[in-house]
Amino acid sequence: MRGSTDVADKHPDVELRIPADSAFLAVLRTATAGLAARLDFTLDDIEDLRIAVDEACAMVLPQARVDSDLTCAFDLEPTRLTVAVTAECDTPQAPDRDSFAWTVLSALTSEVRADVHGERLTIRLARGTDSD
Amino acid sequence: MRLRSAQLFAQLSDEHSTDAERSAHRDDLVRLHLPLVEHFARRFLNRGEPLDDLLQVGTIGLIKAIDRFDLGRGVEFSTYATPTIVGEIKRHFRDRGWAIRVPRRLQELRLTITVATADLTQQLGRSPTVAELAERVGVSQEEIIEGLESANAYATLSLDAPDSSDDSALSMIDVIGGDDEGLEHVENRETIKPLLEALDPREKHILTLRFFRGMTQSQIAAEIGISQMHVSRLLARTLERLRDSLEESSAPPS
Repeated sequence: MRGSTDVADKHPDVELRIPADSAFLAVLRTATAGLAARLDFTLDDIEDLRIAVDEACAMVLPQARVDSDLTCAFDLEPTRLTVAVTAECDTPQAPDRDSFAWTVLSALTSEVRADVHGERLTIRLARGTDSD
Repeated sequence: MRLRSAQLFAQLSDEHSTDAERSAHRDDLVRLHLPLVEHFARRFLNRGEPLDDLLQVGTIGLIKAIDRFDLGRGVEFSTYATPTIVGEIKRHFRDRGWAIRVPRRLQELRLTITVATADLTQQLGRSPTVAELAERVGVSQEEIIEGLESANAYATLSLDAPDSSDDSALSMIDVIGGDDEGLEHVENRETIKPLLEALDPREKHILTLRFFRGMTQSQIAAEIGISQMHVSRLLARTLERLRDSLEESSAPPS
């Protein structure tokens, strides 16, 4: 499954697979918040991360193939949380970096990038506890 | 755009600006950052609330953020404003009764967390971590996380000290209405405000200590100089009376 080589090759610390349906995003947001809490993020940072993950999903969901899954990989470092959201699409396209949505996502994270590998679109975002 | 925004903020805080000029700058800032509000309003569109309402409450959030923003902190305004805007929109859903039913235990925990968050934020100059909250409240980190999640079932935690009576009134509804089926639909803060006002000073005082300062009954007893049993009885009686009044005022006309 982890065929994409650009994304961190190491096995993610936590992985979540949900149907590519906005109804399930709450689970993802909760997981993100829970993990961020364990890394000692402040409430403000946790809320920002929650919104950022939501934004990333909002970008990939419209492209996701019907009845496919969304995979979410979390990497936990002492002061940094990285979240990579991947969707399976027929013709995946990286989001436009000049779009408003991308600007919002950049504003909420320390680092964000989008990658296309074959039929997979991945948005990978990261946020540190000592932010920016 | 960023440059223009920074300019306007600088002018806003300039002591030489007149009130009229400040007002104009504020309007310009609102207009400049409206796309941000629109962006988030649209994200919440498929939940049964009209776009106009969402835009309106989102704009309130924007205005709050503009008023509180401090250029000197070195954070970009969009980053700063986002949680405030989203918070207002989420709060709107809560006010409109889209809240998910949460067990009383969690509601009370949430209130305690809100108070502790306000205190710690003021003390630390930043929002607290879960560990800090757990220590302050005296519960496990697990429970804090649980409390935070239930809060997000409908709204972000308010990071302000309870200065606006609106917040307090609504929190009160959460606690009183918790287990009562008949009060399921009472989500209007306007209903409870007059009822709170009609309480006698001692009842009000005890409610304030219990729900807004997060004190335990023993602490309240110590503060007022009566027994804990007495506090317990008074509290129960006051809450019961509030419940009854709420039921009366929310009952449909027969």
